[in-house]
Amino acid sequence: MRIQPIAKRKVDSNSIQAVLMIAPMLVGFFLFTYVPIFYILRYSFYQSNGFTETWIGMQNFVRIFTRDLAYWKSLGNAFILSFGKLAVEIPLALLLAIFLNKALRGTGFFRVMLFLPAIISTAITGLIFSLMFASYNGIINHMLLSVGFISKPVSWFSNKWSAMFVLGTASVWNNYGINMIFFLMALQRVPKELYESADIDGIGSIRKFFAITLPMIGPTFQVVVLMAIVGSLKMTDLILASTNGQPAGQTEVVMTYVFKYFFGYDGRTVSVGFASAMALITGIILALVSLVYLKSTDKLGKAVE
Amino acid sequence: MEKHIARRILSKTAIYAALTVVFIIAIFPVLYTLFGSFKGNMELLTEGNRLLPRKFVLDNYKQAWRMANFSRYTANSLFMSAAIVAGTIISCTIAGYVFERGHFRGKNLIFTLVVSSMFVSLGSLTLYPVFMIAKFFGINKSLWGVIIIRVFGLNVTNLFIARAYIRTINYEIDESAMIDGCSFFQIYRRIIFPLLKPLIATIAILEFRHSWNDYLMPMVFTLSNPKRMPLIVGIMELKSSGEAATSWNLMLAGSSIALIPMIAVYLIFNRNFIEGLTAGSVKG
Repeated sequence: MRIQPIAKRKVDSNSIQAVLMIAPMLVGFFLFTYVPIFYILRYSFYQSNGFTETWIGMQNFVRIFTRDLAYWKSLGNAFILSFGKLAVEIPLALLLAIFLNKALRGTGFFRVMLFLPAIISTAITGLIFSLMFASYNGIINHMLLSVGFISKPVSWFSNKWSAMFVLGTASVWNNYGINMIFFLMALQRVPKELYESADIDGIGSIRKFFAITLPMIGPTFQVVVLMAIVGSLKMTDLILASTNGQPAGQTEVVMTYVFKYFFGYDGRTVSVGFASAMALITGIILALVSLVYLKSTDKLGKAVE
Repeated sequence: MEKHIARRILSKTAIYAALTVVFIIAIFPVLYTLFGSFKGNMELLTEGNRLLPRKFVLDNYKQAWRMANFSRYTANSLFMSAAIVAGTIISCTIAGYVFERGHFRGKNLIFTLVVSSMFVSLGSLTLYPVFMIAKFFGINKSLWGVIIIRVFGLNVTNLFIARAYIRTINYEIDESAMIDGCSFFQIYRRIIFPLLKPLIATIAILEFRHSWNDYLMPMVFTLSNPKRMPLIVGIMELKSSGEAATSWNLMLAGSSIALIPMIAVYLIFNRNFIEGLTAGSVKG
């Protein structure tokens, strides 16, 4: 009988403590996550150089949809680069995970070393690859020359597609490891008995992969590929640290393009309103991509249930 | 039977061959950077056909350390990473603890709002508004801005890991502490926090990797204050300056200074690294 009120009072003071403990983080969270979204919503209807602002209605959107071809080009580049490199990265990561899952001698060593690129700064990755692929004193050209693959140095960064190839290679190098580890963890959860009974039935390894492995790791596969797609479309550091959009803006991706308008970076004038409108449209496109992806891979996600 | 064994040996050899090829590709750029940092600048600029330096020289490091401000950049990086790691350990464990064990009105609604922010994440698209908010509070000209945003900005991945980990701690421990007269905060401080060592190791490693390697946000916050630049920003500054063509030695030495601590931490704690990087995303 006497315990009740004491416990109640205690709960109340404990609730207050809980709120006080979490308050700084909640303030920070709303300030740095939700307020910026409203900021972008508001400024997409304004013209602003960071100091003065004028309401211009839908003009920013009109400009994007009718006059700013470079925005759509940068968006297109982000898609080409992302899907091009993921077409290599995802199968490579899955294949390596399958190899590492074989429990052969030395796989512990390989797992640690193959994951190494994933801990390295994306900006540093961009820098190192642009040095390695430099046309005159870069080591890649020298290696290709010495095996007779090319007869004169390739100037990788003066052509759009060869520059995109280097960016894709650098990004695969930097990111395959994390996907590999996700796949490996999923593979380790597949019950061994399934393979044993398949062996008894004399099923070949390729059929085993499609009949057992892929359905069993389906849900993980779906999420990993989604994160890889969204992450790649948001690629920023790698581009800024290597080509920075060169030659002539041909390797600009959507994130770097919008970033440069926000901050007036790289010789552009600060255009906060225009950049906000682009950020808004980009955000909507990213959400649509995720939605379409999830709808179309529905089967994969539900494979084992 | 013999045929079967022969096939097995063959496929084993193929697997080792494939793993070795990827292994070489994985470490080549790292070795290229580390060895390159010991090459003379003349060698770097006129030849490019060797991985190993003709002659090991330490000049690049001396020059980077003394003349190119890299001692300052390194100190800035250490300061920023240490502050973010320490701050995040506290903010994330508190957030995880409150959302798991706390009771207050609107908790579930707030949690939903926090989690749903994952779906409207715009990445670097919101960097400008974040920067303007920091400017409003006068923290936009030093690394303190980055630290405050990272520590109080509540990283959803870390929150998930922390909440899931605290859930595994038996609630009876809380109850007996409550009977002994501990308040909600005291239970966190005296009972729960000391039990979180593996979680703390995971968060520390994740945050160290993130903050040590981060480029865009610290770059924006130190744009007008080069003395506060962390290493990565300092290195990139060399690249975008007019002297990029002749400062390969500094860029390689700087990159090595940035790489070595990261690789050392990784090789020592690789198990926590791999577990930590996967923990949040799978549960999230």
